[in-house]
Amino acid sequence: MDEQMGKSAQTKLFENCAYPVRQATIKEYVKVWERLSESGPFWSGHDRMAIIREARQSLECELCRRRLNALSPNAVAGEHDSVTDLPPIAIDVIHRIRTDPARMSKSVFDNALANGMTDNEYVELVGIVATSVVIDTLHQGLGLDVPETLPGSEAPPTGQEPPDVVDDGAWVRLAPRDGELNEVGIPRQANIIRAMGLVPAAIAFFFTVMRQAYYITNLPISISRSQAEFIAARVSALNQCFY
Amino acid sequence: MLLRGSGEYELQAVMDTTIDSGVEHGRLLGQLVDTIISRDWEQVATLREECVTVMGAQETVDAIAVASAFNGITRIADATGIPLDSGPAEATASMRSQLAINDFSYSEKSRKYDRVSV
Repeated sequence: MDEQMGKSAQTKLFENCAYPVRQATIKEYVKVWERLSESGPFWSGHDRMAIIREARQSLECELCRRRLNALSPNAVAGEHDSVTDLPPIAIDVIHRIRTDPARMSKSVFDNALANGMTDNEYVELVGIVATSVVIDTLHQGLGLDVPETLPGSEAPPTGQEPPDVVDDGAWVRLAPRDGELNEVGIPRQANIIRAMGLVPAAIAFFFTVMRQAYYITNLPISISRSQAEFIAARVSALNQCFY
Repeated sequence: MLLRGSGEYELQAVMDTTIDSGVEHGRLLGQLVDTIISRDWEQVATLREECVTVMGAQETVDAIAVASAFNGITRIADATGIPLDSGPAEATASMRSQLAINDFSYSEKSRKYDRVSV
């Protein structure tokens, strides 16, 4: 209880924001931020916070800058400018996802596995980086500093029950299809949700944040569906996201 | 891409910002998104204030929130190499070809970048 109260006192998101951030958004983001400081299935809380710090550091990384200017990121070798004690292969994956998502390729995933990362660790890491990107982008987009990382738990990863997953055309194994369609005729269990099927906890924290801004029906926001879809499509185009 | 299903809009505007999308305040929203993704925070501040004046403060926050959410979710797709969902894959085949979105496919990216190594 004391630990929880202490954590909440440290968690300051959207503080002194000049713009009307919805209370529900603040509440859910704080909840996720605190959850990320706790140990997850495959990374400790300490490591999960380190993953966020490393993702931020990648934006200042000289190797990442040189890779961005190269015809292929795989043509440039070197060491990342790092600020954490995470394994080098984790640092490489984090920096690539954060700085150059448009040129992620299967060799990045294969190389991670070949260097000792498990597919479970990979998927949880992807979820943490993606969640921190959402939270940081919204803060900076509103003229705020990114939130401070919390002291992460040193407790070992919790592990998890083996999830039901299948090989279905992605680099990672996916949660199985449930065959149901949603209100707009798209699979209810879309591949973007199935993508983190190896680590259901990662689905939970990412989509808790995502759903504050976007949902397939009944958008919880004040702009129109067409405006939201235009923004979504433009971001996807800029990030050269095929999906 | 649900923009197709949300009304009559010029889809080319997603890839080419010189084209009018037909979406209300589309040009301003497009500029705001571009500066957010390129992390030009000074320019974001200017455009944010313009959006507040034109659209309202809550609408501006929500627009930035959608851009932020998709800046994250695209990374999940890009890092896991997921295929398109079956329904949208069929429905968007001609549009993907028209807008050259097929160049972004994960097999195409892997073919392009993974043949190079140091």
